[in-house]
Amino acid sequence: MPTSKSIANVKKCLLTGAVLAAALSPCIADAGLGQAETSVQTDAVRLKGSIKATQYTGYQVQEIQMPSGTLVREFVATNGTVFAVAWNGPTVPNLRQTLGQYFDNFVAAAQAKHAGHHHLQIQQSDLVLQAGGHMRAFSGRAYLPQAVPAGVSIADLR
Amino acid sequence: MLSCGGDGSGGGSTGLSSGSSGSSGSSVPSGSNVVSVVVNGGPTSTSPDVNTMFTTVTICAPGSTTNCQTIDNIQVDTGSYGLRILAPVLTISLPLQMASDGGTLAECTAFADGYSWGPVASANVQVSGESASSVPVQVIGSANFPNVPADCQSVGPAEDTVASFGANGIIGIGVFAQDCGAGCTTVVDNQVYYSCASGSVQCEPTTVPSLASQVTNPISLFPTDNNGVIIQLPSVAADGAATLSGSMIFGVDTETNNASGSQTILTVDSTFGEFTTIFNGQMLPMSFLDTGSNGLYWGDSSITACTESGFTNFYCPTSTLNLSATLQGQNGTSVNESFSVGDAETLNGNFTVAPTLAGTFGGPNAATTFDWGLPFYFGRTVYTVIQGGTTKVGTGPYVAF
Repeated sequence: MPTSKSIANVKKCLLTGAVLAAALSPCIADAGLGQAETSVQTDAVRLKGSIKATQYTGYQVQEIQMPSGTLVREFVATNGTVFAVAWNGPTVPNLRQTLGQYFDNFVAAAQAKHAGHHHLQIQQSDLVLQAGGHMRAFSGRAYLPQAVPAGVSIADLR
Repeated sequence: MLSCGGDGSGGGSTGLSSGSSGSSGSSVPSGSNVVSVVVNGGPTSTSPDVNTMFTTVTICAPGSTTNCQTIDNIQVDTGSYGLRILAPVLTISLPLQMASDGGTLAECTAFADGYSWGPVASANVQVSGESASSVPVQVIGSANFPNVPADCQSVGPAEDTVASFGANGIIGIGVFAQDCGAGCTTVVDNQVYYSCASGSVQCEPTTVPSLASQVTNPISLFPTDNNGVIIQLPSVAADGAATLSGSMIFGVDTETNNASGSQTILTVDSTFGEFTTIFNGQMLPMSFLDTGSNGLYWGDSSITACTESGFTNFYCPTSTLNLSATLQGQNGTSVNESFSVGDAETLNGNFTVAPTLAGTFGGPNAATTFDWGLPFYFGRTVYTVIQGGTTKVGTGPYVAF
């Protein structure tokens, strides 16, 4: 969680009628990771949470608190692209929604031989995903290595 | 005593009273509160698990002593809470539990690599000589509940067959009594519990106002010996073994065979069941003991990572590393721990018991977590005391070893 960094700008995002309509449509292909900032609002509707945005040098974090208590943070570059998604809390969020087109990569890796139910990692040139934890305490992160803005530390994507 | 017609394989009656466990030198415990556990490849011979511990349970329809089934290859997991059985192995019929709105209660159990969906049933659960009545258990992959809610499907792939789950079921015996807890008593969109109306296409999110109706750690419902569990495993040669047998002893300070001794007690927090590990001067306050994790997992970028596909989150040092860390409870008590890290690619190919298997704990909690998985349990006696459970030396939730 961003505790030690300076917070340059905090704003509240409001959901518009158009975003709500989009969220209710069955097509969610444009949601989440790799998509435009507006997709975060679609995600927030799907996750039934509100967005709290925090500006950092070179990127913005849009945090969604789900009713279950799980926090989902989407990292938006200055060009408006979501380049990382992180989550932690008592439940695993809707990853089909938040990972968008990359959900299929996650499913493929999870179905391949790997180490037990409590850890999963994907290390591909275009996608890195790490998920782990135990009941009541899950966490995970996915990011697009080629879309991480210059100067942003991977360790800060949390 | 119930007579349940199972095959008795792996049950509590086998060989517990004789001999000693070679490596640790301590005597093998015996008694009606003791069941044997084994670390082996599990039920899926095509893809055997590493460092996965199993036991055998018997379940009966509530009130019946004949409508029973003994099921082996049940994974023992201190990182979850409650008993879950894979529907394909279930041969008896169990009554389903109602949600508060009159529908059938169903559950979405999330793991890091997928989900297990199915209804909540009521069963008598017998392990060795212990028996708990009307325990809420989950039946995973029931053919009668094919409509998985969208939010559940979107956690990952389904793990609802023995092959995809890697076990015939899982018994969660960690520090909490319920799998969800207080959150699910008031929050409708808790992502765990759903109500399925008869004939309904969709199951809807629901609260479970009564904690007693949530899927429950069976130990907490034993008439006695219900405050926790002791897991005892012999030590293993550093280069691994094909199998490892040990014991699970129910209750702490309730019988002559489960007394507290001079163990270090680490109390854990009441939300996540976690304590602090200090490694290389770094505080990791979201650390936990977990028999359901098959290795030690924490972040150390100085250790060489494996390169083989599917192993990139494991460590592959060129020679075995001997490291140490400090484990510190919420009570401030701390203890030093020495452990070894081996080459995961070599270990994994050759052994199902691999004491030096270790890897990275990635993601947002990478800088806050040390996951002490099953290798931590090798060669020692570990106490897990359930939240609210009292012993001669403390009150749960705590772990001690």
